[in-house]
Amino acid sequence: MSRLWRFVAAGLALLALGVGVFAQDQPEPSPAEEAKKQRQQLLEQGGGILPSDLYVAQGEELFKAVRGPKGVSLEGCDFGRGAGQVEGVVAQLPRYFPDTGRVEDLDSRIRSCMIGLQGFKPEEVKRSEVIAIAFYLASLSHEATVDVRLATPQEKRMYALGEELFWVRAGPRDMGCATCHVTYRGKRSGVLPLSDVVGEKVAAHWPAYRYSNDSALTMEDRIRTCYSNLGMPAPDYYSDAVIALGLWLAVQSNGAKMDLPGFIR
Amino acid sequence: MRRIHLLATLALLLGVAGGQPGRTGLSEDLAKLVRGSGSSYGEAILKQTPDQALCTAHKNRLPADVVGQFIQEQRSAIKYPKDGRLMGDWKQGEAVFNTLARGNCFSCHFGSPLNVSGNVGPSLEKYGQRGTSEAVQRYTYEVIYNPWAYFPCTVMYRFGHNGLLTPEEVAHVVAYLLDPASDFNTKPALRR
Ligand code: HEC
Ligand code: HEC
Repeated sequence: MSRLWRFVAAGLALLALGVGVFAQDQPEPSPAEEAKKQRQQLLEQGGGILPSDLYVAQGEELFKAVRGPKGVSLEGCDFGRGAGQVEGVVAQLPRYFPDTGRVEDLDSRIRSCMIGLQGFKPEEVKRSEVIAIAFYLASLSHEATVDVRLATPQEKRMYALGEELFWVRAGPRDMGCATCHVTYRGKRSGVLPLSDVVGEKVAAHWPAYRYSNDSALTMEDRIRTCYSNLGMPAPDYYSDAVIALGLWLAVQSNGAKMDLPGFIR
Repeated sequence: MRRIHLLATLALLLGVAGGQPGRTGLSEDLAKLVRGSGSSYGEAILKQTPDQALCTAHKNRLPADVVGQFIQEQRSAIKYPKDGRLMGDWKQGEAVFNTLARGNCFSCHFGSPLNVSGNVGPSLEKYGQRGTSEAVQRYTYEVIYNPWAYFPCTVMYRFGHNGLLTPEEVAHVVAYLLDPASDFNTKPALRR
């Protein structure tokens, strides 16, 4: 616990400094350069510790703790490379899992093991815990190469549905992922950059820490936020719609070296 | 469930009229997937209208043989303010233009003296230089009421068409852009 507290203290100090950094907001360079600069500044001010390290530490504790009605840790969870194998697994998700009969992403798989292995009820699975555990696993996949394969019919189906969904226009604002992330990629909506989610291999830096509002997000959070921002109801967490989009995006990122946890605006 | 079936049937019927025979615009498998991903989410996606479905099917680039009829349909659905005036009150338009939850125009267009902008859409800086002729007023009104009447499948919301703004509110925004006395034309645009 004392280790965690050190992180907490460092995190708070970073935040206090961070506010000062953002207030100056000079004319922006490219979003990527800006993020790099912010990261460097936070690193220097935090003595080599980033706010995302806090989530990683918290996640490690949760992952290794004996918890739930069945009284086991998550160390026996199979993330696709066999029970207990955790190195590099984030680079190979989403994928099909025969035990649940579903294509699962990182978030969903963590939840499945909290339910199946630890015996939690679905409604007992806390989102904040899933995120922290995702950050811990992400830290163990840093610099792995994204390698999401479509080996099963289930994966091929979800990939095709993800692609179809990516192009759908619907809702009062005629919302569709591709309108922003393909047609207007590289532009800014207000101060927010519209990244090229097909060409820039963006899945390689998710889950990510977002410094502009000090939050820890997974790809599920990001996709759901994009819906909400356009006045659409978001798909449920852990739902097939989110996972299909995430799978499609991940395959576009194949071959990229992961930079985890990501650090974004 | 019954409600969803009704919706799907309706979309199917409309889809036929819009040149999408036998489809809600979504494949059956995708319809199933979105339905299972949250009830309000599924409903919202399944409500994809025939014109939206056309943009989806053609990845936002309509081929030459459908674009003419598409624009025609978008244009003929445009409604105008009851009093017929296309330029309303620029002060009220200012609030619409500069409010995220209303017009949110500044997020995409440069030119507002009040908000730092994005650059998704073209700059509208000193838009009033185009004058206030009937043609300019009409174009500006119509392009805000329904941008798909000029730029099929574009990202700009169809403010009037989709009921995000009333015809009167659109006219207020037109005034904000065109009225020579409007702050939009008399004050410098805010730069980042
Ligand atoms: C109106 C524009 C818009 C639409 C539509 C939209 N997004 Fe986004 N998206 C954004 C913006 C703006 C950001 C960056 C936000 C930020 O920096 O905080 C973003 C960020 C993202 C990112 C992170 C990119 C990165 O560089 O890491 C992903 C992934 C993403 N969106 C996926 C989607 C998906 C999937 C959909 C459709 C379901 C979608 N978006 C629809 C505007 C949009
Ligand atoms: C999500 C982005 C977005 C929003 C929000 C938006 N626009 Fe646009 N707008 C565009 C784009 C993009 C175009 C150009 C159309 C194209 O080329 O596809 C455009 C075109 C226009 C044009 C025609 C420009 C010209 O030079 O003839 C006007 C006028 C305009 N918008 C006004 C507005 C107003 C007023 C609002 C708010 C009520 C608004 N826009 C909101 C993206 C947006």
